[in-house]
Amino acid sequence: MIDIKNLSFCVDNIQLFKDADIHIPKNKITVLVGPNGVGKTTLLKIISEIIKPQSIEMTKNYRELFYLPQRIKYPQGITLEEYIESSFFKKSWKWFLTNEDKRKVDEVLELLEIPDKKKTLIDNLSSGELQKANFALGLVSDADMLLLDEPTSNMDLVNQIKILNMLKKLTSKGISTLVVMHDINLSSSYGDYFIGITKERKIISAEKKEFFTPETLQDIFGISFKVISTDEDFHIQIFN
Amino acid sequence: MNKKKTIIICILLILFLISLYLAVFAGYKDFGVKMFLKSFHLSNDTDSMILSLLRFPRAVKAIIAGICLALAGMFMQAVSKNPLAEPYITGISSGAGLGIALSILVFNSSNYSVFGFFGALISSALVIIFSGLNRFSVTKLILIGLSINIFFSSLISFIILVSPEKSYTMMLILSGGLTNNEVISNGSLSLLFLVALIFAGLLIPKLNYLRLDSDLLEANKAKKNFYLILIICVSAFLSSLSVFAAGILGFIGIIAPQISRMLLGQDYRWLFLSNIFIGSMFILISDFIARVVVYPLQIPLGLIVAFLGAPVFVFFLTRKGEMFRD
Repeated sequence: MIDIKNLSFCVDNIQLFKDADIHIPKNKITVLVGPNGVGKTTLLKIISEIIKPQSIEMTKNYRELFYLPQRIKYPQGITLEEYIESSFFKKSWKWFLTNEDKRKVDEVLELLEIPDKKKTLIDNLSSGELQKANFALGLVSDADMLLLDEPTSNMDLVNQIKILNMLKKLTSKGISTLVVMHDINLSSSYGDYFIGITKERKIISAEKKEFFTPETLQDIFGISFKVISTDEDFHIQIFN
Repeated sequence: MNKKKTIIICILLILFLISLYLAVFAGYKDFGVKMFLKSFHLSNDTDSMILSLLRFPRAVKAIIAGICLALAGMFMQAVSKNPLAEPYITGISSGAGLGIALSILVFNSSNYSVFGFFGALISSALVIIFSGLNRFSVTKLILIGLSINIFFSSLISFIILVSPEKSYTMMLILSGGLTNNEVISNGSLSLLFLVALIFAGLLIPKLNYLRLDSDLLEANKAKKNFYLILIICVSAFLSSLSVFAAGILGFIGIIAPQISRMLLGQDYRWLFLSNIFIGSMFILISDFIARVVVYPLQIPLGLIVAFLGAPVFVFFLTRKGEMFRD
């Protein structure tokens, strides 16, 4: 759970946030949506304390946070396995990984369905596989708060769904997620709680049912939407 | 994968042992295999004296300098993620140069390597402190190091200009070598080196963590910066030690880590071993050549290192340089 009050942040004379209140519930997938340039990534950086805003009151009760940025540079000349293992050298001073660590890497690769790429050099992975590799870093990191900035943007539809299913399963293990996504249809079927930032930089947060109304969506994106709702699911169409 | 790496390390170890043999037992006074066997029990003849008083300490210093420079270069390249980063980046070369210049021209001391050592330590302390003011960053460190280097270099030039009678000695010493031979300083050098090596070994796994993109580690900023600063301090100390051992030797701190990476990838536990062997091997062979090529004239070691290093490095780049992409 993260609770932010009175967030104000101004950069290059643009007031991105003004006295904003943001709540990220525990054990849920919170989806952050909004048009380009309204400050979604900035918000993730503020939450992970990379950027210091002019004013903020933040209460948080997570053990550890993992922040996955949108663009990542990769070290050259190491395999996928070694890439994920890097994460284990963070805490202790040991030279060699334990069998437990190695088993964890195998497990995560199995889970992400890329165990055959274990010995492949990072440079030779596809961009979807690279995103999986970074996601794997989050899974082995022991974090219980994941901040993911468009983690599936390079994946095919099936893999996107698999990753989102995985996030869903993780919530029952006490892992909360805040994820930036552009596909509102997908997010409507997997998200539990929604935060939208409008072009005018107003913040709208709501549970799924209140969030997916044509009015709210039009507020955020500035165009008309048609929302078809069945019992649990929503289908959103752009309305022309 | 690991099998291939083990083989490479074994080959490097063998090459290292060969160069060690060359450095100690070969040369104008060639001792050969017989002496090599004899040297295990001490005797008092001149040959043993040459070995124990000249060749052994010289080889030890060559090894220390090589290891220090290669490891420091590896550390700096790892933390800056820049292949051009080198051990002297924290103002070491000019700090050491200034120390050496002052010791010769102002204090008239023969103990110039100690002065060089402290010069290097002081300048890197300055650079690290300045780059830590108002939010630490490695890029800032590189630029401040550059500025301090230029600033001290101008002071060195000034000192050389005002005392032209000693400028030849100065130039000779500033180009690096293993000739300064004091038993006391050798002891403290070895001791300091062992301490530095232990710290370096402790920090090696952290390089495997820091190879991840710095944006990924940004959420653990405090921890990341703590490791970075620790590594930079150890690296500065290692390069200062190399000045203590062999004066200012450029280039080796860039090429040893790069060649290691071309051979072994980016697992720093392997690179640690490989840098130790390649760095010391390189200085041992260079020193061997410096001693024998135009005997009895000894060419400054720094010249040989650069003269040999450049072609070797270009050779590796043409063969295995595909990993360097823009």
